[in-house]
Amino acid sequence: MLDYVIKVKRAAKNIFTDGWVWRMAWRDARHNFSRLFLFTASLITGIAAVVALDALNTTLQHDIDTNAKELLGADIVVNGDKKFGKEILSILDSTKLPQASEADMASMILFLNNNQSRLIRLVALEGAFPFYGEIETKPANAYQLLQADSNTVMLDETLASQFAVSSDDSVKIGKSTFRVVGTVSKIPGGGGIMTTFTPSVYIPMKALDSTGLVQFGSRVSYKKFLKTADDAATKSTLDKFGAAIRKSGYGYETVESRKEGLGEGFKSVYKFFSLLAFIALILGCIGVASSVHIYAREKREEVAVLRCVGSTGWQAFNIFFIQIFLLGIIGSVIGSFVGLGIQQLIPVLLKDLIPFKMGTVIPWTAVALGLVLGTIVSVLFSILPLASVRNVAPLTVLRSEQQSRAPHSKTKITAIVLIALFPLLFAAYQTKSIWMGIFFFLGLAAALGGLMLVASGLLYLVRKFFPHGASFVMRHSLSGLFRPNNQTRVLMVTIGLGAFIISTLNVIEKSLLGQVEFAGQENQSNTILFDIQREQKDGVVRLMKDNKLKVNQVVPIVTCRLSEVNGKPVSVLQADTTDSIPNWALSREYRVTYRDTLHKSAEKLIKGEIQQKKSGPDSVWVTISEGMEENLDITVGDSLVFDVQGIPMKAFINGIRKVEWPKDPPNFIFVFPNGVLEDAPQIFVTATRIDDQEQANEFQRQLITQFPNVSLVDLRLILGTINALFNKLGLVIRFLALFSVVTGLIVLAGAVINSKFLRIKENVLLRTIGARTRQITAITLVEYAWLGLFSAITGMVLSLGSGWLLTKFFFEITFGYDMLESLLIVVGVTFMTMTIGWWNSREVISTPPLQVLRKES
Amino acid sequence: MSTIVLQTENLTKTYRTADSSLTVLDDVSFTVEQGNSIAIIGPSGSGKTTLLGLCAGLDTPSSGLVSLMGFKLNKMSEDDRAYIRNQYVGFVFQNFQLLSTLTAIENVMVPLELRGERNVQGKAKDLLVRVGLSARMNHYPSQLSGGEQQRVAIARAFMTDPKILFADEPTGNLDEENAHHVTDLLFGMNIEQHTTLVLVTHNLELAEKTSRILRMKGGRLIEDRSNSLTLAKNH
Repeated sequence: MLDYVIKVKRAAKNIFTDGWVWRMAWRDARHNFSRLFLFTASLITGIAAVVALDALNTTLQHDIDTNAKELLGADIVVNGDKKFGKEILSILDSTKLPQASEADMASMILFLNNNQSRLIRLVALEGAFPFYGEIETKPANAYQLLQADSNTVMLDETLASQFAVSSDDSVKIGKSTFRVVGTVSKIPGGGGIMTTFTPSVYIPMKALDSTGLVQFGSRVSYKKFLKTADDAATKSTLDKFGAAIRKSGYGYETVESRKEGLGEGFKSVYKFFSLLAFIALILGCIGVASSVHIYAREKREEVAVLRCVGSTGWQAFNIFFIQIFLLGIIGSVIGSFVGLGIQQLIPVLLKDLIPFKMGTVIPWTAVALGLVLGTIVSVLFSILPLASVRNVAPLTVLRSEQQSRAPHSKTKITAIVLIALFPLLFAAYQTKSIWMGIFFFLGLAAALGGLMLVASGLLYLVRKFFPHGASFVMRHSLSGLFRPNNQTRVLMVTIGLGAFIISTLNVIEKSLLGQVEFAGQENQSNTILFDIQREQKDGVVRLMKDNKLKVNQVVPIVTCRLSEVNGKPVSVLQADTTDSIPNWALSREYRVTYRDTLHKSAEKLIKGEIQQKKSGPDSVWVTISEGMEENLDITVGDSLVFDVQGIPMKAFINGIRKVEWPKDPPNFIFVFPNGVLEDAPQIFVTATRIDDQEQANEFQRQLITQFPNVSLVDLRLILGTINALFNKLGLVIRFLALFSVVTGLIVLAGAVINSKFLRIKENVLLRTIGARTRQITAITLVEYAWLGLFSAITGMVLSLGSGWLLTKFFFEITFGYDMLESLLIVVGVTFMTMTIGWWNSREVISTPPLQVLRKES
Repeated sequence: MSTIVLQTENLTKTYRTADSSLTVLDDVSFTVEQGNSIAIIGPSGSGKTTLLGLCAGLDTPSSGLVSLMGFKLNKMSEDDRAYIRNQYVGFVFQNFQLLSTLTAIENVMVPLELRGERNVQGKAKDLLVRVGLSARMNHYPSQLSGGEQQRVAIARAFMTDPKILFADEPTGNLDEENAHHVTDLLFGMNIEQHTTLVLVTHNLELAEKTSRILRMKGGRLIEDRSNSLTLAKNH
């Protein structure tokens, strides 16, 4: 009888010693690679995004490091907005270091060959500048010619080409006429975004005074360039003279501080790149898991047969693991090199936005990151779906509906823990902050939780309010959402996540681009005239009226500095390293105005009262712009002492104004009440609106002839430049966001294909009992439409929340979104879900039922 | 004395759900000796396929015992049962169950390769010649007709020189001509190799070719009779 058991003797083989699993992996894969297309595509896009963005970050950092000296042109730059006096000059002379000088200011230029004019940045140079890098000119000796002859000028090459100016043409700047000796294509400290706004014009320093531009109120920036022997000499020089330089009212910049400044400037860009990389990779991971899930499901019967003929669960697992692992490595390599290719392309897109030429060195660390990450992702995110292969019951060959046994194995539990940790660790690595990593991770978890909740709520609502009286197609498509074993929740979460991410990117893009909302609306000023002297005020206003231009504002401007904040002298506050007031806020020159009203088109009082002159000793009550009170750590009721051209003036904060800076300029940080500053030395700014270009040209020509020191800003020109720049920036953002969108679509395709198997049998049955192709197509489309619509709406609603959180706490910018574009995303995702659903079902829809039944039996 | 290759004792299979249970096989006992051929017949839902699955170690019983070649299958792990199947068992299924990504010859080679054996191509070729597919060895299943696919499956089943062959409706998906061809092949090779054959079928004509018929109904074994005609013919 059955009273004995023969012990089974079999040699356990691992993946490395079992040659059969390698042979089977190859045999199974050789005609099967297309089935793993989704897997490879997900991996390639995810890894390409990470590598491209990481490589870009590395290249930017590397270029900042290597270009810093050339960006500065010297080791130390001493700067200030007042002419270098005896005291500071003797300090600088005592350093015994080689020196060069620069003065720059805004000015108008008149091109005498065509009588056109433009606002420019006038740069006066003296000495051996630059100490590092080169001034690249056409002709090559233009800089030597400029230094030899005081009546010569060099122009930025963009300016020269814009106004068709060539060598030996003449230009008028202020009262002087200069001969053009060449154009400048590159100069240390120049280039970048600012060149686009105000192109530079270079003259010898000795010619500056003769222009007559440096008058009272002119905003001139003075610089002294110093060259030291090395970094140690820079440090010792500043240790010795730094305090004295500051005491004289000047600041200084070093190569290190310039690097830090540039790094700070690119911080938002890094953050955005990191976010994109995170999203693209997470979508890639979902794509990998989803595609391997589909693959493992397709292989179920094959595994059952192998199990019948004696394969162990691990052997079956190993066959597919080997395929996924090797394909993962291939995908990672391809993804890394695609990423590198894109990284080489991005500098071309960014070239006008950064002040140096980006290198195209290959950052191999990014490639290594891509390879390691790709391998981890392909293994980690395929283990769970592949683990199910181990548990396929051999009985499946007899009964296809046989359920796999799915014990909670150690492998599965370990994989789940690692999968949960992966986004957190990756986000922390990308942002270089564990807290940011946790923030990203929690955001993702909240999004998934939210999507799951909405999916469950939707199923509940469909069950509760099922439209029994609706048409056959409508009823059948809706019933599809809650048929047994349907994956509605999973699909909604996956598709919704794709919609959520695409929509979040859109919100962030809108918010970033919305930072520059510029004037140009009806009735707003688009031409600003500044540096008008008191005695010129009436003449300029008359000239405007003669040209039939409306004088929108004539605003007085008084320059002053802070000498005390809440009773503490500025020098004490500057020396105090424990306070939070930045030095620039204490030492800068403030340009203030006076009036008794709000500038209503751009200002709103958000705290306290408007500026006013009260009776009694403490009579001057001013208002401050929102944000600046935080910088100066003051609030309503606090006191300040202004140094108005040598005269101390105590004032109190009466209120805080919210200022929309770009609107209807000029706008001010401090506004004084009337009756206080009228007798102080002041200049005036006026604004008007000119819509006709010819009228603008004529007015500018008359202005520069009669009032050569008055500068004119044409906001239309700036608006056009900003629009062009942001279109370019938008292109870069969209280009980078495309990674995430493509990966999202792959996930979407995977999710829909995943549900295909469940729908096939139902469609076959409907066809068998007489449903027409049109009806089945309609049912399929409507069902996927519901799925896409609800997922997209859920994703979009959640994205508004995440976008708000990200803009407020991560990018620290104002939240903004475009409802129409959000709706377009909903429609787009719905349409794509329908299309992908239909595309994957078309075989089932168009094939005769018997053929399908045979295939499925 | 004949060797017992398969023995079941009080074999029961019950599927439990949250609020009910369904017994699909109820207290089935029988033995099969080496070289015998038996047919399991009965109406749909009578438990034939469940019984086949349990006997072949594709599933485990809720209670009772199964012994295959002396191994108590219900006390073994899934991987140990897989090993037993590989060593002693061959299968032929109604839906052929060939691996679609492998050629005909590769499908036949798989069971021996699983044992770690090399140079198995010669034997696979011989078997494919034996089943009349010498010209189709390098074709993929999708390039073969149903009858040809089933012949590949028979060749694969005999590749390991199994002690026992389980066949589930082997002619169920074939036309009459192919069905005859496959039946002749199956029984012919069974006799040649002195293999034990366990056959599940609805086809009484096919069942009559075996030496013993087990009739199932409602999960119970209601008849176990010898087919004297076939016995006489086989001996």
